[in-house]
Amino acid sequence: MKKALSLFLVLAMVVGLCSFAYADDAKSYSFEIVSKGFQSTYWQAVLKGCQAETKTINDAAGYEKVKFNMVGPDSESDIAVQVNEFESALNAKPDAIGLAALDVNALNDNIAAAKAAGIPIIGFDSGVPNAPEGAVLANASTDNYAAGAVVATNLYDKIKARIAAATAPVRIGEINQDATSESITNRGLGFIDKFIELAGADGYKVAVTGNDKYVNDSKGEKVAEADAKIIIEVHVPSQTTTELCATEAGVVLNQPDTIAIFGSNQVAAEGIITANETLNVCGSEDTQIIAVGFDSGTVIKAAVTAGTMYGAVTQSPVGIGQKLIDLLLAAAQGEAVQDTDTGCAFYTAANIGSDEIAPNLYD
Amino acid sequence: MMAGQKKKSLVQAVGVQQLVIVGVIVILFAFFSLMSASFRKYTTIITMCSYMYYIMLMAIGVTFPLITGGVDLSIGTGLVCYSIVGSYLMRQMGLPIGIAIAVTIGMGIIFGFVNGIIVAKLNLPPFITTLCTMMIARGLGSILTNGMTGVWPMAGQPGSWCRDILKYKIGDTIYPIGMIIILVLVVIMSIVLNHTRVGRYIIAIGSNKEALKLSGVSVVRWHVMAYVISGFFAGLAAIAYACTFTSITPGTGAGLELDAIGGAIIGGTAMTGGSGSIVGTFLGVCLISLLKTGLPNIGLQANWQQIITGGILIAAVTVDMARRKK
Repeated sequence: MKKALSLFLVLAMVVGLCSFAYADDAKSYSFEIVSKGFQSTYWQAVLKGCQAETKTINDAAGYEKVKFNMVGPDSESDIAVQVNEFESALNAKPDAIGLAALDVNALNDNIAAAKAAGIPIIGFDSGVPNAPEGAVLANASTDNYAAGAVVATNLYDKIKARIAAATAPVRIGEINQDATSESITNRGLGFIDKFIELAGADGYKVAVTGNDKYVNDSKGEKVAEADAKIIIEVHVPSQTTTELCATEAGVVLNQPDTIAIFGSNQVAAEGIITANETLNVCGSEDTQIIAVGFDSGTVIKAAVTAGTMYGAVTQSPVGIGQKLIDLLLAAAQGEAVQDTDTGCAFYTAANIGSDEIAPNLYD
Repeated sequence: MMAGQKKKSLVQAVGVQQLVIVGVIVILFAFFSLMSASFRKYTTIITMCSYMYYIMLMAIGVTFPLITGGVDLSIGTGLVCYSIVGSYLMRQMGLPIGIAIAVTIGMGIIFGFVNGIIVAKLNLPPFITTLCTMMIARGLGSILTNGMTGVWPMAGQPGSWCRDILKYKIGDTIYPIGMIIILVLVVIMSIVLNHTRVGRYIIAIGSNKEALKLSGVSVVRWHVMAYVISGFFAGLAAIAYACTFTSITPGTGAGLELDAIGGAIIGGTAMTGGSGSIVGTFLGVCLISLLKTGLPNIGLQANWQQIITGGILIAAVTVDMARRKK
């Protein structure tokens, strides 16, 4: 009887130890991801990246090691909605939070609260620039300022011969869906600053006109329109809709001295394409207006393939989602994490199907 | 004497407020044309018409619930929801565009019917009811299509005839055929509102619902009908929107209804119900669309565009209120 009891106790201890060991190995992690919205296929692609990486991790672990909840406001202008969503995310007490901030200043207090609660934050998409020191452990993001510069470099290459040949000033339009989102403003300013730099190197003066935010924040020398060889005219619609972006694009496309136009995200680029359907002035020939865009989607891809839109920059939204989950898991496990630039690339009809570009394009 | 009587009857026939709006439209049109070379272009007028169709269709429909003293806030997100589902049927399920169009309009009618039943039968306030269905429509579009962006046929693709219905191209010239369709609908719905039993009962619901009930009329039936008409036109607006902008993003659409409701109110439809006209709604939407196109063309920045549009709305409603007090 004593032997049987001893054996039972030993067995119970072994089972208990095993279950403790299993419990430690089988720790689950829950993440809250606060995005800028679900209002374009771009964000759907980020979501897909998160889902794919979560599945990979869970399949490898053999149990649901990682789970996440992704939220976002309806519009990239809804800063207050995103602040509420971040507060809810904080209240859910996750193991880590992923954040693509619309306005870091509006989120500063909540980011500090997350830090105080010991919840690590990982930035993604455009990251969380100028966040309080040490609050955001790492970013899986596109450098939007550099991405705007990539557009300027490719566009300048395409049109510099026309600028040189022009006897009168030429106009370049820039359509930004808003003047509040940091990713959009950084792209817009990156484009303007790089264009001024490139044109300046060739001896041209550039005037920036239109929306006050972009005019005032651009770094180049302030040049009057009358003294400039190149005029960059920046338009921001009153609401972030394709319709109003198209109306603003139409204003630029209708001007006789316009030689190029840039739409700094999917909505703005689709607005240019919509406006051109009636005006029929965009194309890849030297006599046409050269349109360039940002991101992808069925409409933009079709326009680039047809040559109506000369080219666009694509980010790596699926890669951003995958990297975000990796960084969230590492941060939750207390591992060291560091910033990852998820990159961007300019595509045209010539390379849209290439191995480098095609996987990053989405419908 | 005769001339005086004739003049008076003309004013009575068209309506004071409508004449004021026509005057404002003419003045603004002249002002924008004078200030902006790009506004004067034929293509700008075509563009303005193209972007106006979906608002116009929503506005014609929503005039009916407004006349009953209600409102339909669900038409904006509903428009996006119906067109995304239509796109899903074409692109993911390979169904012909005719079926997609039928389902798009059908969804509008169903939403309108549900709104009508809740408002008329369960007596819930129209504002709350349609605010809720607005939220439901916003979520439903994403759920039914798994969050996919809707894309309707682009120019040159199979099914792109639906675009040509609104904007027909002969050679290099584009003709705004959609405006003819809109004008025909304005005439038809004006007749429906003013010269049929449906219209008369809908006006009566807005002016004196109890009296109508006491006279033995099935108030619920005609009240529901007002919302069904609104839903049907939201379905048509969904097609016009999709054919104009091609790509439709799930979760969007909130706020689109305000241009339509604003247009109807500028056009003289009373928020308290009991009166309104389809011609007035047509003119109100023309004014809003003119501002949306004209203000960016004269170089006015976004914030000022909103302030001026809001100011003109207040002025229009104030004029209407003053006229009614007289």
